[in-house]
Amino acid sequence: MTRHSSPRLAGYASLAGLGLIAGLAAGRVELVALAAPFALAALVGAMLGRVPHTEATLSLDRDRALEGDEAVATIALSSSPGIDRLELLLPLPGELAAATPNPRALVLPAGDPRTLELPIRCERWGAFRLGPVLLRARDVLGFHAWESEGGEPQPLLVYPSVETLRGLLPPLETQVFVGNQVSRAHGDGIEFADVREWVPGDRVRRINWRASARRRELWVNEQHPERNTDVVLFLDTFAEVRVRGRGTHDLAVRAATSLAHRYLQRKDRVGLVSFGGFLSWLLPTSGTLQLYKIVDSLLQTDIVLTFASREVDVLPPRSLPPKALVIALTPLLDPRSAGALLDLRARGFDLVVVEVSPLEFVQPGPDELSRLSYRIWKLSREARRARYESAGVPVVEWHEGVPLAVPLEEVGAYRRYARPARA
Amino acid sequence: MLAYAAVRAHALAGLLVALGALGGVLLLAVLLRGLEELLAWALAVLALVYVVSVVVDTSRVDDAAPLVATALLLCGELAAWSLDARWRIAAEGSLVRRRAVALTGLALGGLTASALVIASAATRPGRGLAWTTLGAAAAVGVIGIAVAALRRST
Repeated sequence: MTRHSSPRLAGYASLAGLGLIAGLAAGRVELVALAAPFALAALVGAMLGRVPHTEATLSLDRDRALEGDEAVATIALSSSPGIDRLELLLPLPGELAAATPNPRALVLPAGDPRTLELPIRCERWGAFRLGPVLLRARDVLGFHAWESEGGEPQPLLVYPSVETLRGLLPPLETQVFVGNQVSRAHGDGIEFADVREWVPGDRVRRINWRASARRRELWVNEQHPERNTDVVLFLDTFAEVRVRGRGTHDLAVRAATSLAHRYLQRKDRVGLVSFGGFLSWLLPTSGTLQLYKIVDSLLQTDIVLTFASREVDVLPPRSLPPKALVIALTPLLDPRSAGALLDLRARGFDLVVVEVSPLEFVQPGPDELSRLSYRIWKLSREARRARYESAGVPVVEWHEGVPLAVPLEEVGAYRRYARPARA
Repeated sequence: MLAYAAVRAHALAGLLVALGALGGVLLLAVLLRGLEELLAWALAVLALVYVVSVVVDTSRVDDAAPLVATALLLCGELAAWSLDARWRIAAEGSLVRRRAVALTGLALGGLTASALVIASAATRPGRGLAWTTLGAAAAVGVIGIAVAALRRST
C-alpha cells in the first residue's frame, strides 16, 4: 500500500506556524487568529491519516466470450474501519470497454461490504487478463490517499465473430478417411461417377441393368466416394498494416476462425500454421476441441517484428500433410512469406492465397513523392501476385467489409477454368 | 478581502493590490495547471495582504480577523476540491454531500477557534492563578492532541 499526503497539509501547518510566530513577533492577536483555522485544519488532517484496510475480490461471470458480447466483472469490497472515499479502477485493454463508468468513487461504510458490477463490452478478439483492481482510499477532505491493488487477475478470452459461409473451397485431392467431400476418385459412394465393365468381385447391387441390357454384357456403376480433406490455414504474421484499431491481421484472424469453424463442421481435419516472427503450428485434427485449440492459438498470434529469414523447412512435416489444401491468409507485405508459399507450391501442395488487402488502411501522402512511392508499392504487390499466378496459385484479393464467401467463390471460379500447374 | 485590507491601509493600497494580484495569479495557476504544491504559497501571499493591513493599522484589534482566516481556509479547501474534481471519476452523490458537510464543519470549527483567539485577547492579563492554570492546561492540551494525532497518522 502506497501512501500519499496532500501537499496542502504541510502548507496549512506551515501557514499556521508562520502566523503564530508572526503574531508573537508583531504582538498582534489577529495574526494568531489568522493562523488558528489552518492549525485546526492541519490537526484534523493529521487525525484523518489512519491507514485503511481494504479487501477486494474480482470475478468474471465467464472466461470466454464472443466479439460483441458483454462480460460482467464483479468486484466485492469490504473494509473493517470503513473508508470515506474509495476510488477504484479496473484497467481494461483497448479491446475491451466498460459499459458503466470506470473509474468510480464510493463510500465504503465500516463492516458493510459492497459488491459492484461492471459490464464489459468485448469489442475486439484477444486473450486478456483483467485485474487486479486499482484502489485508492481517501479521507473525507482529501488530505491523504492510500493506493493499493486488490483481486486476482481473471482470464478472459474473446473469440472473433464467425462469418457464415455457405460454400467452401474443395481441395484438388481428398484424403483416405470418410468425410463429406465428394472425391474425384472412383469408389464406393453415393454420387454417380461412371459405368464400367463388370469384373469378378463386383457386387451384384452395383450392376447397371439398363446399360448391361443395351450392351449385352454386364456393366457396373461407379461412384465418387465421400472423403475428408486436410486443410491447413497458413497465417502470415510477418507484417501487418494497422490503422486506428483495425488492421490486416484482424481480418486474417477472423477469416481463419470462420474457415476453421466451417471446415471442422464438415468433419475435415484442420491445422494451423502461424508463420512470422513468432512461429507456431497445430497439427491437422478434426473435432470441436480442435476448433477451440485453433481459436486459442489464433488469439495468441501477434505480429512480431523480425529480420530472421524463415523457410518452410522449419515446420514439422506432420503440420503439412500431403494432399492438404493450404489456404494462405496474407497481406502480401513480406517477401519471406511469399517465398515460403511458393516453396510450398513447388512441393506440390494445393495452395490458395487469400490476399487480405491492406489498401484500405494505406493512404498516399499529399506530395508527389509520396504518391509515386505509393504507386511503386502497389506495382510491387502486383508483381508479387503475378509470381503466384505464374506458379498456378490462385490469388484472390479480399477487402475489408466484403464477405469472405466472395474471394472463396472467386477461387472456385478460377479452378473451374484453370488446370492445376505441376511445378 | 483585498478591498477590506486596502480600506484599512489605504496608504499602501497599491502594494496591497499588487500583492493581491500576485496571490490571484498563483491561485489561478494552481487551478489551471493543477499545481497543488503552489496552493499554500497562493494562500500565504493572500494572507500577506491582510497581515500588512493589520501591521500598518495598529489602532485597534480587528474583529473581522476570524472571517478573513476562515475565508482563506475555505479558499484553499475549495481549490483543493476543484483539483480533485478534475479527474473523471463517477462519484456517488453521497460523497459530495459528505465532503460538503465536512468542509462546513471545518470552516465553522476554524471560525470558532479564530473567534476564541480574538475573544481571549479581550481578557486582561494578570487575572489570577485560575486563568493562568487554565491557559497552561489549554496549551498542553493542544500540544497533546497534536502529538496524538501525529502518532495516530503514522
